Amino acid sequence: MRIKNHTLTLLLGASLFGCATEPTAPPATSAAPAPAAATAAAVVTPPAPPPTAAAVVNMINNCYSCHGTDGRSAGAIPSLTGKNAEQALLMLKEYKSGRLAATVMTRHAKGYTDAELEAIANYIGTNLK
Amino acid sequence: MSKITRRDFLKIAGAASAAGVLGHAPLAGAAKHMGSGSARVVIVGGGFGGATCAKYLRRLDPGIAVTLVEPSTKFVTCPFSNMVLGGLRTMDSITHSFDALKNKHGVNVMHDTVTAIDAGAKKVTLKSGKTLSYDRLVVSPGIDFKWDAVQGYSEKAAEVMPHAWKAGPQTVLLQKKLKAMKDGGTFVIVAPPNPFRCPPGPYERAGMVAHYLKEHKPKSKVLILDAKDAFSKQGLFLDGWKKLYGDMVEWVPGAKGGAVQAVDTRKMMLDTALDKHKADVVNFIPAQTAGKIALASGLADDKGWCPVDPRTFESKMHPGIHVIGDASIAGALPKSGFAASSEAKMCAAAIIATLKGETPAENSLVNTCYSLIGPKYGISVAGVYKVTEKGITEVPGAGGVSPKEAPDSFRENEAKYTVGWYQSITADIWG
Repeated sequence: MRIKNHTLTLLLGASLFGCATEPTAPPATSAAPAPAAATAAAVVTPPAPPPTAAAVVNMINNCYSCHGTDGRSAGAIPSLTGKNAEQALLMLKEYKSGRLAATVMTRHAKGYTDAELEAIANYIGTNLK
Repeated sequence: MSKITRRDFLKIAGAASAAGVLGHAPLAGAAKHMGSGSARVVIVGGGFGGATCAKYLRRLDPGIAVTLVEPSTKFVTCPFSNMVLGGLRTMDSITHSFDALKNKHGVNVMHDTVTAIDAGAKKVTLKSGKTLSYDRLVVSPGIDFKWDAVQGYSEKAAEVMPHAWKAGPQTVLLQKKLKAMKDGGTFVIVAPPNPFRCPPGPYERAGMVAHYLKEHKPKSKVLILDAKDAFSKQGLFLDGWKKLYGDMVEWVPGAKGGAVQAVDTRKMMLDTALDKHKADVVNFIPAQTAGKIALASGLADDKGWCPVDPRTFESKMHPGIHVIGDASIAGALPKSGFAASSEAKMCAAAIIATLKGETPAENSLVNTCYSLIGPKYGISVAGVYKVTEKGITEVPGAGGVSPKEAPDSFRENEAKYTVGWYQSITADIWG
């Protein structure tokens, strides 16, 4: 199910940030029989390491091509400023899952691990005012 | 299963590069500086790649001395030059000055032309006769044309059949010809073979020309003669043309005789294997190579494009020189202004790290190409890219094109964001 921006605002207003910031548990390496695809995924995917500070700068710098230098948009694309880390992470995760409707952000957010999205959200909340 | 994880790969790559296994010394010239403060970086070209690199070098390290060499005093962007043809923009609105780079960001901008690069002596020579020494050189020269690839076409022929693939006087010339065309005329776009600057560009142009013609000369036709059998955002373009312009836009793929073999600028004729086409206006977009200075300096391979290390964009031909933008071979990244800007940011960060004797951080590269089919009909393709053992590859499961089925409001939003993107990226680069 997709949600729209105003629904997200309600979610944000309801202070559901806590759950969104919990790190995702690594996949269990249980010996119990599982479907083939799930087994393969569980075996080869270690939990992604958090990106270094310099790598986060590399990532956020790309955002500025649409959202403006330091997240201050020069036009119709929303700015990245004025959000705390929890709000930014919730939005990014919902774009990644596709629950939050967007034109292009649903396609971009899927390009990052949860750890990377968390680091990007922290950068937005801390540095983009 | 022996899949290498990104973490393992980076360990391997890091170790290999520290041991010098990956070839040229990644830290050449760094030791004597012990920090990037006194380092001099010279950048060739003030477009999407070069201007971004200049600004972001200074943002990342205000102590670094950056000289940007660009012949033009103003830069006219190829992105949105199609909107000039469509009547949606003026030339002024796609022209950018270097004032902010000079005054706000402390870049030494020289309006001159680099005529020679001496990789051994780490020096460039300018048309004015001056020479500049550098610790790292960034070459962002864009593209040049293979003028003689099609019989009858030449640099001189471009005055009759403009390419308009470098924005500026050629854009103005093509617009003049479009405006002078009679109602009921045929506007032919000759689309170039791969690889070329701005993969969706010729097709966006078709829609923008059709938009102008629909308003002013509705009996006219836009014919795309293409050497290729497929193109960027093809399904979305075909649907959009049909919806907005009916049968006005026709695309002839290579398999159906689209490849142009000869042109006659006096008779305004184009020959393909199967047909002869009479045109009223021809927009001939030639086959392309990296910009001239890259070829002349031995930075390009035998196909005319520049091989680079995907982590730093350092040339595989000459250490100490980085090649970014359309001229570079950047794996899965397309030759777009957005990609050039993203490469420039990664290159700037890698140069700073290298000058400090550090290992460059992991690259993250992004592209988004918006195209307008009509003023309220926008489409896009996006991608997120990482460096893997295979070079620059697209992160699977991410990116892709706009949905094929979408309400009008979706296309309208993407049209709005097309304009928003242009405002933001040009301010991010030249602002």
